[in-house]
Amino acid sequence: MIALFNRTPRAPLEYTRTLWMRLWVGSVLVFLYAPLLVLMIFSFNDSKRNVVWRGFTTKYYEKALNNDTLVEALVNSLTIAGLATVFSLVLGAMTAVMLWRFKFRLKGIVDGTISLPIIVPEICLGVAMLIFFAWVDWPTDLIWPLNLSAITIAHITFCFPFVTMVVRARLASFNKEEEEAAKDLGASEWQAFRDVLLPHMRPALVAGSLLAFTLSLDDFVITFFTAGPDTITFPVKVYSMVRFSVTPEVNAASTLLIVLTVVLTAIALKIQGTRNLTVSHA
Amino acid sequence: MAEQHWKENPKGFWAVSATPLLWTLLFFLVPMSFVWLYSFGSNVGLTEIEISGTLDNYKRATEWLYVSIFLKSLAVAALVTVICLVVGFPVAMALTFASEKWRPWLLLGIMLPFWTNLLIRTYALMMLLGTQGYANKTLGWLWDGASWLKVFFGMQPLPTWEPVQLLYNNFAVVLGLVYVHLPFMVLPLYSALDRLDKSLIEASLDLGAGHLRTLMKVVMPLAMPGVIAGVMITLIPALGAYLTPDLMGGTDSQMIANVIERQFKRANDWPFGAALSFVLIYAMFILIALQSLRKPRRGEAK
Amino acid sequence: MSKLDLTGSRLGRRSLLQGMGVAAIGITVTGLGACTKEAGETASTGEEAKLNFYNWDTYIGETTLDDFKDAAGISVKMDLFDSNDVLFAKFRAGNPGYDVIVPSNDFVERMIQAGMLAELDHAQIPNLKNVDPGFIDVDYDPGRKFSMPYTWLTLGIGYRKSKVPTPPDSWKVLFDSDEYKGRIAVLSEAGDMFRLHAKYMGKSVNEITPDDIKAIEAMMIKQKPFIKKFHEDDGQDLLLKGDVDLVLEYNGDIAQAMVEDDDIGFVIPKEGSQLNSDNLCIPRDAPHPKNAHAFINYLLDAEAGKKITETILYPTPNAAAKALMPEDYKSNPVIFPPADVLAKCEYAKFNPELQPLYEEAFTRVRAA
Repeated sequence: MIALFNRTPRAPLEYTRTLWMRLWVGSVLVFLYAPLLVLMIFSFNDSKRNVVWRGFTTKYYEKALNNDTLVEALVNSLTIAGLATVFSLVLGAMTAVMLWRFKFRLKGIVDGTISLPIIVPEICLGVAMLIFFAWVDWPTDLIWPLNLSAITIAHITFCFPFVTMVVRARLASFNKEEEEAAKDLGASEWQAFRDVLLPHMRPALVAGSLLAFTLSLDDFVITFFTAGPDTITFPVKVYSMVRFSVTPEVNAASTLLIVLTVVLTAIALKIQGTRNLTVSHA
Repeated sequence: MAEQHWKENPKGFWAVSATPLLWTLLFFLVPMSFVWLYSFGSNVGLTEIEISGTLDNYKRATEWLYVSIFLKSLAVAALVTVICLVVGFPVAMALTFASEKWRPWLLLGIMLPFWTNLLIRTYALMMLLGTQGYANKTLGWLWDGASWLKVFFGMQPLPTWEPVQLLYNNFAVVLGLVYVHLPFMVLPLYSALDRLDKSLIEASLDLGAGHLRTLMKVVMPLAMPGVIAGVMITLIPALGAYLTPDLMGGTDSQMIANVIERQFKRANDWPFGAALSFVLIYAMFILIALQSLRKPRRGEAK
Repeated sequence: MSKLDLTGSRLGRRSLLQGMGVAAIGITVTGLGACTKEAGETASTGEEAKLNFYNWDTYIGETTLDDFKDAAGISVKMDLFDSNDVLFAKFRAGNPGYDVIVPSNDFVERMIQAGMLAELDHAQIPNLKNVDPGFIDVDYDPGRKFSMPYTWLTLGIGYRKSKVPTPPDSWKVLFDSDEYKGRIAVLSEAGDMFRLHAKYMGKSVNEITPDDIKAIEAMMIKQKPFIKKFHEDDGQDLLLKGDVDLVLEYNGDIAQAMVEDDDIGFVIPKEGSQLNSDNLCIPRDAPHPKNAHAFINYLLDAEAGKKITETILYPTPNAAAKALMPEDYKSNPVIFPPADVLAKCEYAKFNPELQPLYEEAFTRVRAA
């Protein structure tokens, strides 16, 4: 859809360049971005609430940038999401390899248990974590970023099974003969894993980390129940505004975040070249 | 090659499984065991829960009132999953076949909306859909245009435009949930399809099969593990959604997660909330464990 | 182990931990203990110059916390919660380190009964004299042993004047009539809904019996097709957006909305209504109780109270602060309803037996 103006003739497999595919993806993007556009427009709304248009102003950008709690909440949320993503990725990939590669007793039960955090209702897991951290007397007055440890642990717990699911689905298409060929050629277990299995898992690792990041960044309930007095996160900030209407400051901050993400991605792609970030080597 | 028995390679097995198993035990099973115990308890006073081994909570949780809400939620979640699959599959295909240059941008384009807070996004979606919202304004404008055209050609004008109810009903809940859960479907599909053996598709096309036939007979089976994973991580979280039905639903749009949430919050009835949660968990657990046991190896790409 | 006692002795907890073979976290936790924050400077109260305040967002004056820091040298860390329910749920596992919290009246009652609140020392709160005497001896906390009033509210009907020609002066239009079908939003909070229906039936909000609940449930199911939405206390937004023309909301929220849109009106129905009040409390085991008293005292100050009221525009129980407010606030009949109307309004007592019944009945109404 983006490469709309390429002029070379289309090869049979370039589905992305067929008209219906472009229309479809284009419509999905419109569906995804229409609300975002509204959100951005309302960040310029001259009203205390996000409801009716009352004229143009940029004061909420100034307010958002000067609002220490808001900035702190954003930094906390991004830190937690970053940490949770890295740990979930490692744990999730390990679990997926374990379930895919090995046969062992009680495998069905282990499989079911590992998937449980996806099933447990958020509030239930939140309460469980609340009791657990109170029971072990987890300290709440640590220095940053250790004060985020309880929240991060809870996030990893519910994020990594999502990674497992995605990686396992990917592993199903792995051709084990490749690994065996590598081993026949003298590669050790670890080398075979690193040079054959890991590259095959890559798209799933990218997809899994995107999922984990998204889940962690947006979580409210579990975060609320594991948070201490000085660990405010962005969702907690936003939800606690509902009673008195969410202010356009939040929209302004979100808009800035979106713009920042796009800019950073552009820079990253420029510097690294597209090769490293793209997922396949096809 | 079939799966390896763990004893044939104990070092490799423990290397990958020790950490996740320990983590799950410590930070999931131990916390959840408290709530599990609560489900066999009863409230004594405001904050004390006596674990008496009673099954009353489960009896209440399996009353028709709650079972019917569960079934309705399941139906909504299933519908959302199917729509996500239909909408998301071509998107995943587009990602798979996109050029190296555009793929990261397309991936970012799909994910970016989801890094904005869910509540704010839902509010924005509601702004679009309200009776005075932009969607209705656009439709009204088109309607008026059509009416004007009819008059222009000497016909009766259309009746005056009545705003469509796009919000506060079950339609809005389904739409909102599709909006929220789309990436949960697209990402596993994409990761399963990526680097699929394109020569298979070429061969199929060369042999005279049409694109649609190729899609159904060649691409779909290859994508199957991705479809299963996508269905799992869309269906189950959609079943547990509470915010979208609360904000976008009408008077009869409560889902099971809303009911569970209220037990832990306003009703202050943790034992019953725990029992409701665990009824859900038992059902799903059995499903997953069974599937894992009987599943033959499949989807080896040849 | 027949009883899971969350507040049980630490010794028991520790030995249990080891019994389960997870002593490792115990060690880690102790290890983490070394990374706690250094104690900072000391305030005039003799405590470390810090305070953890737990509040709704935007529910304080824009500069109040900075002003307090200038005045008392104590820096306030404001953390946020989104409903009384989660506040209560979180404190069930013990106080995670907060000094001042802001629960509503029925939750003050709940938390007193659950032993979650610390008794206030009135000697440290001389600004109590600023509080309107009508708010001192309240049913939910006689003599104000545990709480200080912060704001108060009453429920009523907010409506769009151009769409609702006659002011809706009875609960009938919301609860028992199809006159405005599809244009009504009511609260999603089960207890409030049942109590207001009781008011409509001419009963006190504190005299509801299980039979009444059945009758009200039937009435709600009958009315449900005419209702567009059970809202999450965001009714003022629905009204402003034009999604509905009548909402059941708090007067303070509607007063805020009226600032932006003069086509909005508010009525407290003739049958009477329910009063609510948000209160400042110190939870048990607060780490800085003296700072907490100083902070509460500061919030009850006339000038500070005026700044808070200017921001949140809710009715204030602080008579001295009210006196400093402009005339259009003081004489606003929405913010301060006439005395004869208020006389028919009551505070709802917390009733632990009825609450689960309300919830279950309301779940049935929604499922019907």
